[in-house]
Order: sequence, then C-alpha cells, then structure tokens
Amino acid sequence: MVAIDTLIAVAVDGLAFGVFLALLGVGITLVYGLGDVLNLAIGAFSVLAVIFTTSLIEQGFGLVVAMVAGLLGVALLGLAVDRTLLSLVYRSEGEERILLGIFTTLGLTIFIDGTMINFYPSRYNLPVDTGVFSLGGIGVTGGSLVIIAVGVVAIAVVFAFLRGTFIGKATRTVFQDERGARLVGVNPRGIRTLIFVLSVTVAGLAGLVFAIGSNVSVSSGFEFTVLALIVSIVGGVRSLTGAVAAGVFLGVVNEFANFFVGSYIATIILFGTAIVVLVAKPEVIS
Amino acid sequence: MNWLPGNSARDLSVLGVLLVVAPLPILGSSYYEGVLAHFVIFAMLAVALNIVFGETDQLFLFMGGLAGIGAYGTALLTDWLGVTAWLTLPVAALFAGLVGLSVSWISAKRKFTVVLISILTLNLQFVISEVLVGAREYTGGSTGFSYQYFSMDAIAETVGVNETLVLYYLMVLLLLALLVAYVALVNSRYGVAFNAIRQDELAAASIGVDVVHYKVFAGFLSAFMFGVIGAFYALEAGYVLPSAFSFQTVDVLVLIILIVGGLRSTLGPVVGAGIIVAIEEMLGSTFTNWRTAIFGALLIIIFLYFRSGVIPAVDNLRSGRFGRRFGGAEEEPEDEPAD
Repeated sequence: MVAIDTLIAVAVDGLAFGVFLALLGVGITLVYGLGDVLNLAIGAFSVLAVIFTTSLIEQGFGLVVAMVAGLLGVALLGLAVDRTLLSLVYRSEGEERILLGIFTTLGLTIFIDGTMINFYPSRYNLPVDTGVFSLGGIGVTGGSLVIIAVGVVAIAVVFAFLRGTFIGKATRTVFQDERGARLVGVNPRGIRTLIFVLSVTVAGLAGLVFAIGSNVSVSSGFEFTVLALIVSIVGGVRSLTGAVAAGVFLGVVNEFANFFVGSYIATIILFGTAIVVLVAKPEVIS
Repeated sequence: MNWLPGNSARDLSVLGVLLVVAPLPILGSSYYEGVLAHFVIFAMLAVALNIVFGETDQLFLFMGGLAGIGAYGTALLTDWLGVTAWLTLPVAALFAGLVGLSVSWISAKRKFTVVLISILTLNLQFVISEVLVGAREYTGGSTGFSYQYFSMDAIAETVGVNETLVLYYLMVLLLLALLVAYVALVNSRYGVAFNAIRQDELAAASIGVDVVHYKVFAGFLSAFMFGVIGAFYALEAGYVLPSAFSFQTVDVLVLIILIVGGLRSTLGPVVGAGIIVAIEEMLGSTFTNWRTAIFGALLIIIFLYFRSGVIPAVDNLRSGRFGRRFGGAEEEPEDEPAD
C-alpha cells in the first residue's frame, strides 16, 4: 500500500511536469493557430535557452540575470528565424504551407541539434537549491514548487496579454479570421512575428523550468518537441486553454504511470493517448 | 511487354549493369563495399516511400519503425521457431505490411490529410522505438544484439566470393525487383487510379475509383517492402540496435533522398540515394560531427527551393529543349514516370 503523502508528493511532481508540458503546448499552439506552421523546432529553442543560461552562469552571472539573458537570446534567434525561414514558408498557402512548415522546422531542429552537439556535448541543469519542503507535514520536492509557481505566472501573463492588451486582441482577431483582421487594419505578418518570438520565449522558459532539478542535453530538444506535439494534439492544436489543460492532465497522468508501472509504459501511454485522440477526433489538427 | 515500357527496361538494365560492376574497382575494400551496400539499402527504402508518398500522398513517417518490425520480427521468429530466417522474413514483413495497411485504412476511411497521416505515423514511430528499447528481454534493449541470420556461406563458397559480396548482389537483385515492381505498378490500372486520386479524390471516387482500396493497397505494399528491407539493413550492419531504426536515422534521410531524386520518378530514389551517400562520404571523417547539421540545412533548402527533385528537373530541361527544337507540345513532367 502506498502512503497517502507519497501520492501527494507524486501529484505535486506531476503538476510540475504538467506545467512544463503546458508551456510547451502553449508555445506550439500559438504559432499553429496563427499561421498554420507546426513548429517542430520548438524543443530546440527550449534547449538553447538552457544552454545560454548555464553558460552565462559559468561566466559568473547571477541566476536571474542569466535566465533573462538566456530567454532574450532565444527571442532574438526566434526573430531571425521568423524573418528568414518562416517568411519563405508563409509565401505558400493552405495544406502546402502546413507541409512546408513541418519540413522547414524539422530541418531547423536537426540543424540546430547537429550544430550545438559540437559545442555543448554534455548535460546541463540550473543550480537552483531544490531541497524538500514540508507542506502540511508532507515532504514535496522544492524544485517542483518553484516550477509550478513560475509556470503559472508565465501562463497567466500570456493569457493576460492576449485578453487585455490591444496587440493581444489584434492577435486573437487573426486567430479567428485572418481576412476580417486585415479589413480592420491588422497586419497579420507583423502579429505572426511577434507571436513567434513570444512562443519561442515561452518554450525557452519551459526548458529553464525543466532544467531545475533535471538534466537537459542537446538531444532533449527533439524529445521536448514530441511532447509539445502530443500536448497540442490532445488539447486541440488551435486551443490555448486546451493546451494548458492537456499539459497539466498528461503531466499528472505520466507521473503516476511513472510511479506505478515504470517510465517505459508511461511513455507509451503518452503516445497512445495522442494516437487515440488523432484517430478518434482528427479534426483537432485542421 | 506493355507492363514494362521499353525505355524503363533499358534504364533498369543500365542501372543493373552499373550496380553489378560497381564493386569490381574496389574489390577487397570492405569499407567501400559497406558504402555501396548502404547506398543500395537507402535507395530501396526510397523506392518504397515513392509508392506510398509519391503515388498516393500518404506520408509515412514510421519507415524506421516498419523496417525495425521487419528486422526484429525476423530475428525473434527465427529464434523462437528455430527455422531458417528465409521463412520468417516474409512473415515479419507481412506483419509490417499489416501495420501499414491498418494506418492507410483508418486514414482513408476517415479522410486524413497528408499532414494528419504524417503526425499519426510519427507518433507510431516513437511508440515502436520505445518498445524496441523497452522490451529488453526480447530485443536486448538499447544494447541490441548481433544479427547473424540468413546463412550465406554456402552460396559464398560455391561461387567463391566473400559473404559481403553475396549480400550486396542479393540486395542489388532486390533493388531491381522493387524498381521493376514500381514500373509495373504505375503502368497498370493502379497507376492510373493513383493519378486520378492524387489529382482529385472526389472526382476519382465519383467515376467509380475505389479510393480506399487503392490507398490501402499502396500502404500495405510499401510497408511490406519496408519490412523486407529492414531485415537486410540489419543483416548488412551485422548488429541490430533500436537507434538504427529511429526517426532521425531512417525517416529523415529517406525523405531527403526521395525529394532530392524526385517524387514519382523511377530512378529518382536511386539517384537521390547516390547523391546523399556521396555527400556523406565527401564529408568523410573530418566533418563527421557536422553531418547532422548539414543534413538539417539540406532538408530546409530542398523543401524551400528544390521540391521537384533532380530527375524531374533534368527531364524538364531535356523535354523542354527537344520540345522547342521539334516544335512538340509542352509535356507535363509531373504526371508521367521519368524515363
């Protein structure tokens, strides 16, 4: 029999993993909803944020400064990718654009991974003190609490931006009806650039929270992308709230499956869920 | 012989002769024999992808997984039943074929777009990879096992050449068989139906083309081929590892090869495999670390700028020149198999 406080500790870790998944899901959903580009390079941006940050920490910068600079670096790279590669992708329309987006970002992720592995071959994590906190007498991992706090704030900020600000509202207009947005004077291309930069920054933050207490290597990038893909399939590829809900749900399920039946079955459950959803409700991706 | 048009027969014979004499200048160099075998294997994989993706627009991104089913399936069945691998290979390949058949059937019935099929099969690829790593007691996990099936020493002794060479010629035969099958397929009623479905699925269905039947057939055939090729892939390596059948190792490369060579051209997969393997060799040992990065960049450039492929581009050039000289009508290179 498993003690109840163990279960709660597992649940907290699951929530933390769920918040990480939700951030990845939000990142991939924002861009797909706005411009039909399924960003298969999203995990590479997460890993880049971790690598930038840990290198800055090695140089003697403080943790927070390094994290902000790391995210800034990822944002700049995202801007460059949007202006060059994605501009070429946006020239085509409809199904062809979706397909072109998939292959271009797939090529990008392979390119980034293949380049970075030459310079950063080991495993990296953030030096955050992750003791065990006592929560009403139950010991839970400190790192998980930090992840949940940071992630919830970040997701709240993204939602507040989309709901509350003028640019956010313009973004949602493009989400709903691109032609209508044009008619009221919104420039979809400019919005797409902004949102792409925002999405890779969110993905960068996902990488940073993951690196609290876990190791990240260059090869983690594609694993993160696949996780993001699963979250967006289960949550519906154009729904932000769906991505958050699916992320948290899958995170908790995965952690419990991990605990009870082992990580191998847990991973298969993750993919299996995505496959079942795809076959049962193919309209999630369209 | 109307199922194999004259020019295809000529091209395939030339290719056959080239592949047969290819090992002669490098006889004895096991390194280059390995390179040649690698080239033939990836050409075969691209031929199989050309049927399911080129002809019927079903982008299978679990080629590595299907090949893995063929390779591991053959080995496990052989060990379990204690019979020769020549008998278990068709069974394992049939199983891979049935997996492809199921995917195609669900996709065609539910009218999946090419994007959906690619994402669905990508997920399946990761499930298969996970099973190959995780089911340790059967697959040896990530350490794999030595792959010594299909004893060929008898043939090797009779002919008097080494086993690697026997395996190479066997694979050349298989490649030629796949190409003949491809040409026969696109020149049969199947090819006509594939064309019709690709151009307008609804219109094809309205004149009585059974869309589901043709897509499922293509899915089964290609998946079966992937299964067969997978066993030879493992045999050539002499060792079987889950990472050899991963998305990054197999699918990405085969996709690049097919697109470089040109979709729906008979020799495209062979030319594409030649180009890619040549690039790999030119990078050599000095740039090994940059291999992945270079293929990533290549994937981007190919898809953004050269989606029509090398063979169709050459054909286009040739037919354009002749067209002007003889005042012939403009041909549509996309809809006919390249000669």
